[in-house]
Amino acid sequence: MPITSLRLRDFRCFESLSCPLAPGETLFTGDNAQGKTSILEAVCVLLRLQSPRTLAGRELVRFGAPGFGIAGSVNGRELTHTHTLAGTERRLLIDGEASTRPGDYLAASGLVVWMGNNDLELVSGSGEPRRRFLDFLGSQLFPEYRPALRAYEKALKQRNFLLKRDASPAWAEIDAYTAVLVPYGETLLRLRAALLEKLAPHATAAHTAIRMADGGAPASEALSLTFHPGGDSSQLSAQLLARRADEARRRVTLHGPHRDDFLIALDAMPAASFASEGQQRTIALALKLAQATLLREARGQAPVLLLDDIFGELDPGRRNALLAALPADSQKLITTTHLHWLEAHERPAARYHVVKGSVTPE
Amino acid sequence: MIPAVGYPDEIRALIAQLKRLPGVGPRSAERIALWLLRSRQTPSTDLATALNQAQAEIELCPVCGFFASRTAGCTLCGNSDRDVTQLCVVEQATDVLPLERTGAFRGHYHALHGRLSPLDNIGPEDLRIDTLMQRLREGFITEVILATGSDVEGEATANYLAGALGASFPGLTVTRLAQGLPAGGGLDSADDLTLLRALSGRRRLAAH
Repeated sequence: MPITSLRLRDFRCFESLSCPLAPGETLFTGDNAQGKTSILEAVCVLLRLQSPRTLAGRELVRFGAPGFGIAGSVNGRELTHTHTLAGTERRLLIDGEASTRPGDYLAASGLVVWMGNNDLELVSGSGEPRRRFLDFLGSQLFPEYRPALRAYEKALKQRNFLLKRDASPAWAEIDAYTAVLVPYGETLLRLRAALLEKLAPHATAAHTAIRMADGGAPASEALSLTFHPGGDSSQLSAQLLARRADEARRRVTLHGPHRDDFLIALDAMPAASFASEGQQRTIALALKLAQATLLREARGQAPVLLLDDIFGELDPGRRNALLAALPADSQKLITTTHLHWLEAHERPAARYHVVKGSVTPE
Repeated sequence: MIPAVGYPDEIRALIAQLKRLPGVGPRSAERIALWLLRSRQTPSTDLATALNQAQAEIELCPVCGFFASRTAGCTLCGNSDRDVTQLCVVEQATDVLPLERTGAFRGHYHALHGRLSPLDNIGPEDLRIDTLMQRLREGFITEVILATGSDVEGEATANYLAGALGASFPGLTVTRLAQGLPAGGGLDSADDLTLLRALSGRRRLAAH
């Protein structure tokens, strides 16, 4: 059982919160802007040390408080994550013992799939949300992914800054960073290619399953994912060298995983431009379900599904199809503004009502 | 109404000074100040003397960048037993200490007092690279060991130095600290990048 209890202190709008979570489904209901999403966000930060909503830890701290704390029982162990604003100090504890390496903490923690309203961006948006999708998955699948990504981003930032800084680029300094950037970049390119190869069949299968449940014909609309790498995973150094004149002109790093993307197509037609919004939502959902399947397959552990208000946009038929399509053995934390359509289900779910940063069992 | 009484100004000044020290909060500052005063004579005057002496005596060695005494000189540069052909380049003066603890290095050191980080506005001209070049021009040094950190900025600094040294001193041997498996660890505990580096930095074993 992944996460059985959650405690918060000064996190977002919650001064303090303590609530047990059901092994199956836990529902959080309430009006908008009451703190429902923040509860899911807290679970995500506790388990994966990153928020799907923001990159800045300070935004997670309740206004006026010196820092936040999140704790919970995860896979039978007590995990604690505290963050102090002064000096942005993070402390991680496993069963009361300090864990100095985030890698160890993440290994002891659970897996997460986040499904939210803006998942549509995965299909319709720029490459950025798709890269973040790969990063979120990759960090949970490969232990070396996160350190490589962090180091790559840091080196890239310094390199791009140097390219922009001087009237004529200082190549001696720039190449000092190129040499650091290349091995991390090649590692990322290789891992992302492997990731997409594993993910694609699961996405196609999940897509077909949702469409079947929705009454679609199985033969039509095959989903395919094609990786478009931003560089060669064994030739990145040579590629950058060949583009030196272009880099001097455009003043930005022209090859590398920061330019990765993957093409989503329905029957070989790009989904971003040719699919309807309904079709795009189904694809986004299939991508997230594929993520869950892949995590379970690769790590032997069902991920926690965090479903943030994804039912609002769907008609009752699709809602039920979606609920049926979710992996049965995963723990699910769900936020929604309305319950009435769920009543017919009579699922054994723990229910909480969220009002202005306080939570009461229903 | 009688005004509430606080500490006398002298104690408040002492607490304020202590509070400025790294890692000391207002509560600790108060506790330390009171302890120093209560124990009278010895500890507080000893502290004051030690502080004054250190302040007056210690400087950074203009040659190697390590801590040196104004009267006794630099213990590293002044030691004639050390190997003058080897020079180990580190980021900070304090980085000398862990290397010295290994007891395996008998050459000289050069602290850069920082590392390259364009975003923090630290370029080559902000590091002690000129003095490094000057030492190399004296001609005694045959090997430079780059012992900057293995994070992004540390690696970039090492790369930059390797390029600059190679261009100015073609005959010089420039080496980098090896990276690889942690001592006492198995292969399965190392990540890909560490293994990759361990593999590319492999060494030949003597045949028996």
